[in-house]
Amino acid sequence: MKKLFFTLLLALVAVVNSLQAQETVKVGVLHSLSGTMAISETSLRDVLLFAFDEINASGGVLGKKIQPIVVDGASNWPLFAEKAKQLLEQDKVAVTFGCWTSVSRKSVLPVFEKDNGLLFYPVQYEGEELSKNIFYTAEAVNQQAIPAVDYLLDQGKKKFYLIGTDYVYPQTTNLVLLEYLLSKGIPIENIGGGLRKEGDKVVSAGKYTPFGHTDYQQIVSEIKQFAASGDACVINTINGDSNVPFFKEYSASGLTADDCPVVSFSLSEDEFRGLPAKDLVGQLGCWTYFMSIDTPANKKFIADFQKWLSSTNVPGIVKEKRVTCSPMVLSYDGVYLWKAAVEKAGTFDVDKVRDVLESGSISFDGPGGKVTMQKNHHVTKTVYIGETKADGQFKILKTYTDVYGEPFLKGTFAKK
Amino acid sequence: MGNPFAAGPASRIAWSWLVSIVFLVTIQLGYAEDEKPETRQALASAITSTGDEQARIIDGLAETGSPLVRQILVSWPRGEIFLYTDPAGTIIPVTLDADQDGAGKAKAKRIDTGVWLTDAAGQPLTFTSQELKLAETDSKLRKLIRNTLDLLTLADPQPANRVSAVMKLGLAQKPANLAVLEARVDKEKDKKVQKALAEAIALIQLKNTDPKIQAAAVSKLADLHSISSLDIVKGVAADKTADPAVTAAATAAVKSINGYIQVVNFFGTIFRGISLGSILLVVALGLAITFGLMGVINMAHGEIMAIGAYTVYVVENVFGRGLDLSPFGMRISIPGLNATGAFYESYFLFSLPIAFLVAAVVGILLERGVIQFLYKRPLESLLATWGVSQVLQQLYRLIFGAANVQVNSPRWLSGNFTFSDVIFGYNRLFVIAFAALIVFGTWLLLTKTPLGLLIRAVMQNRSMASCMGVRTERVNMLTFGFGSGLAGLAGAFLSQIGNVGPSLGQNYIVDCFMTVVLGGVGSIFGTVCSAIGIGVVDQSLQQILLNPVMGKIIVLAAIILFLQWRPAGIFVTKSRSLEG
Amino acid sequence: MNQIFSRKEGIAVLICAVLAIVVVPSLNAFTPAGSFLHISDFSINQWGQYLTLAILAVGVDLLWGYTGLLSLGQCLFFALGGYALGMHLMLLIGKLGQYKSDLPDFMVFLGYQKLPAHWEPFHSFWFAAAMTMLVPGIVAFVLGFLTFRSRIKGVYFSILTQAVTYAACLLFFRNEFTFGGNNGLTDYKFILGHDIRSAATQRGLYIVSAIVLLLVFLFCRWLISTKFGKIQRAVRDSETRVLFSGYAAANYKLFVFVISAMIAGIGGALYVPQVGIINPSAMSTEKSLEVIVWVAVGGRATLVGPIVGAICVNALKSWATTKYPDFWPIMLGGLFIIVVLFLPKGIVGIPGQIIAMLRKKETAPEGGAISSPTAAPEVKP
Repeated sequence: MKKLFFTLLLALVAVVNSLQAQETVKVGVLHSLSGTMAISETSLRDVLLFAFDEINASGGVLGKKIQPIVVDGASNWPLFAEKAKQLLEQDKVAVTFGCWTSVSRKSVLPVFEKDNGLLFYPVQYEGEELSKNIFYTAEAVNQQAIPAVDYLLDQGKKKFYLIGTDYVYPQTTNLVLLEYLLSKGIPIENIGGGLRKEGDKVVSAGKYTPFGHTDYQQIVSEIKQFAASGDACVINTINGDSNVPFFKEYSASGLTADDCPVVSFSLSEDEFRGLPAKDLVGQLGCWTYFMSIDTPANKKFIADFQKWLSSTNVPGIVKEKRVTCSPMVLSYDGVYLWKAAVEKAGTFDVDKVRDVLESGSISFDGPGGKVTMQKNHHVTKTVYIGETKADGQFKILKTYTDVYGEPFLKGTFAKK
Repeated sequence: MGNPFAAGPASRIAWSWLVSIVFLVTIQLGYAEDEKPETRQALASAITSTGDEQARIIDGLAETGSPLVRQILVSWPRGEIFLYTDPAGTIIPVTLDADQDGAGKAKAKRIDTGVWLTDAAGQPLTFTSQELKLAETDSKLRKLIRNTLDLLTLADPQPANRVSAVMKLGLAQKPANLAVLEARVDKEKDKKVQKALAEAIALIQLKNTDPKIQAAAVSKLADLHSISSLDIVKGVAADKTADPAVTAAATAAVKSINGYIQVVNFFGTIFRGISLGSILLVVALGLAITFGLMGVINMAHGEIMAIGAYTVYVVENVFGRGLDLSPFGMRISIPGLNATGAFYESYFLFSLPIAFLVAAVVGILLERGVIQFLYKRPLESLLATWGVSQVLQQLYRLIFGAANVQVNSPRWLSGNFTFSDVIFGYNRLFVIAFAALIVFGTWLLLTKTPLGLLIRAVMQNRSMASCMGVRTERVNMLTFGFGSGLAGLAGAFLSQIGNVGPSLGQNYIVDCFMTVVLGGVGSIFGTVCSAIGIGVVDQSLQQILLNPVMGKIIVLAAIILFLQWRPAGIFVTKSRSLEG
Repeated sequence: MNQIFSRKEGIAVLICAVLAIVVVPSLNAFTPAGSFLHISDFSINQWGQYLTLAILAVGVDLLWGYTGLLSLGQCLFFALGGYALGMHLMLLIGKLGQYKSDLPDFMVFLGYQKLPAHWEPFHSFWFAAAMTMLVPGIVAFVLGFLTFRSRIKGVYFSILTQAVTYAACLLFFRNEFTFGGNNGLTDYKFILGHDIRSAATQRGLYIVSAIVLLLVFLFCRWLISTKFGKIQRAVRDSETRVLFSGYAAANYKLFVFVISAMIAGIGGALYVPQVGIINPSAMSTEKSLEVIVWVAVGGRATLVGPIVGAICVNALKSWATTKYPDFWPIMLGGLFIIVVLFLPKGIVGIPGQIIAMLRKKETAPEGGAISSPTAAPEVKP
């Protein structure tokens, strides 16, 4: 009798298992969990897993549970392409959430186009790209740099010093900003950092340092002279690690946010965990989400995420001192935008989901406010300007609602 | 170890105590307990009110001239003023006392009355900073506070503060401020403030309608080498409507100020070059021992520096609130001392010897575990230690998290003094002295101690030394430990100027090897010369090319070409060995 | 000893070659998907990449294993080869790019009006193909000439090549350098008139990689069996003695360095169309060190070892980065330490090591103390 019972039980488990197997949909997570970019990207993996668990707990997508396939791009761009191929060709995932750097996106783009996959990309980038297989929940340049400059102009700033790491995102952003500042009547001699010309055409504006640069003495002393005459500010597109030596040097030289504020586009709450916060008090940031947003939706999101963190047993997740930041929330928003689109389309089929997403009718009330997917694969969203506090959080100074994401900006600002 | 090493840290600690005592005393003096009640009331309402009302009160505070007003207005934007809501619902602005109990709680002092907050029974209430609401400021409010502070600061005891206040008032070019500034001229004794006053007055005089006064003001600014007014003077020079005499004077002034900037940049570049060179020296000195003397290519050198930096991080947290770590799913909680004030600020001095020791121990483990088998195969020591560096980096990620960790510099290391518009950062001055000290210590150890003699003997000829009865294994171990300890010290310093993260060492490793190779392997003095040389050349190229990337590439190319000319570096260690 | 292979070896090589060049692609092309014998397009592509990395590794072995020169810049040559072919592939995209322009996309948004002069000749496939070997060769020649002439050797050579690679990497990161900056060259569409993303093209690339690997292997094998190869090994073992015997050691080293760079260039050129991107991070010193790892793990101075090592380590990497992303660097680093300390002959040397150990055990009790020549000569006081 006992034996029969156990056999039945086993059979039941087997049936349930097979049912479960049918009831799942595979979803890819493609981020660097090792190497130089792991610093930023692991947080996105965490928030994605959280979103999947949240959705699974409330019944999944179209009645199917999400089964995440997490792969490590290891900060290695060819490996990103290989992993993307693996996700699409072997695991046959319905959608992929991933990538941080532009080069990783560029590297997987041909793979997604060939295999007709679907990628949600969550990190602020330089624009100038539009693939039918990628949806950019990220901030386009006009959803970050332009509002920040508007704010600074509004504050009476007259001199702008551009500094960044020597690669595509800072250079493109600064070229767009140069056009924008000139169109706003800022004379070219008030734009610091240096201009490079080819003939009469300005090909690059701003000061650029190599990746991993650690010595900012010369540049900071230049900024100090630049800012001596007042009403100056710095637009910072320095990438990752180099921000620490930059800000330490900046504050050691006696420059403060009151004399000459720095607005940074690559520093979110997550990066602040590694920065000497008291050297940065009053410096500005511009994102579509801040952890300090005082709405019930955001408070619930943070509380749920913290609760999930303390209960999760996924290896490699740091549980202490965790914060939420804009790329994380845009990843999270991406998951829900996809879910909404799938539910509206009634299928996981990529072409149909894309049609629904492109219809402009898919939106989601996320922790940072309402986001709506546009026809051009970018997202209409709210943009906030914040200044940093000693605890590494941002105090929100200004809110721009319903900013339309526009990837192609170069040449769109006429010089007045 | 030689005596100088024992004396070094001890004297430094004593020095820091002295500094901190002075610091404490000044803070205590700042609190004038017998402040007028109406000043206190005004201050409190300035904090609690809003909008135009707030702006009016803050402007009015300038007239009080009170040290307390200054004290509070300074700490307000820093987030050191808190709001306490009493049971009746009244909001009371308070400051927290510096003395904290074990739980990090401190007594709160009412700004409006100057007495401690108490409960109904008269017992003082205590709070942690998290329990109270912060009195927030935004940049508009801070601008107001700034202006009031600038006016208050005209009578500040610190000349540097007076200079900055005067310049701000000058650059605003408000004729209304002219009288205040002129009134200060006679009272002011400090040379720098006098100069700033002259600049500010001249700047405001530029707004005068009389061309003669304008021209005189422009010439005055040129004589004063006023960098701050360069933009304004340029504006005057380009102004087509201005009087020709003024334009001419302004054009000459622009030329003169630009010339002065050249001179400032020249000396600034030399200082920055020396400071960069000192950093290179500090990071390369450990390598000069392990690579230069022992011939071990330690690719994990950078990771050993990271150990030093992480040690500072741990020590800082132990002095502060303690530290929670979760390596491999375990939870480790290190309690903190909750130190404050000068004791907390001195954490960095305590962390230096600890960083040296921890790094030295790891170095010795590395030597015993891996390197001791590879003395005959230097190329393979390169490979094995690269493996070690990969493992260590990932271990840091697993222990401390992939993200950089936050290390706050003590106050005495942040800040600077300016001489003739050249900025001398305290941390930069510190590293120059630090580099000099450890080079001197290393030199003493190698040349004046018995251990140094043994080290040199073993490094010159391992087998021969062994035949003479030297316990080479021990000497190898200690030498490698010493080199690693120096790397740890370097990492400890780097934590003050850069990021502390798993890949900290990677940013320096190429530079390190180049410095040692250029200096001549085996020559400590050569390493010193090459480090300072690379530093100065790098900074000069940045100044000339205005392009850090090309500067770096040119420096690397120049080193490679230099080695064509002197393949063994600047200083060649003479050897009769063929295979060298 | 002029014979390149013993009979046994020859048969083994032949079998491996037939397997790699004929059998595997056939299994991919002619068996239905889902069949037991089927090899997926994904696997073919991945194996194609491994084979190109193996080509690079064979070049490194020729340089390090046989001549004793540890270059940390081999990935620079690999990347240069990749860039040369990548430039050609970029020009083939034509108007299919984002901006529908004849110029590559990144040039359009950096504001170029026309193609820079040094890009023009890359319209020709054969020119690009020649450049994949010539450019690395020339760079290696100049670098080698400078270093070997002034007798920079051993670890100094390693450190110098590392610095050169680092400088080149920084240079290629710059947008102004006209090679696409950090984003590199990507989104290729065609190669020699075929759609580069189709399964058939990828299979073709795999076959070409396999054939090239075989040719490179045979060439290196031939080279080391000549008198030249002997001098090469003599340089490795004692350069001074070679010099005293009247040979210009520097010229031999230079020759091997250039050959090895050209092999790396070919590898890079075959790698890029299969992985679809080349960017400056391909030439980081870290990558060069990884190649050394493959060679050491496989077994150096064997030529077979590097191929085994490249394939094994990369397959392990593909697997471990999925299963244990957090522990992958520890595994790689640990593997490396173990190989250096305990397996100086690598994987292919393991059978030999076991046999040697067994023999030692057998003979030790009879022969008494046999001093091993590798034991540390230090005497404890």
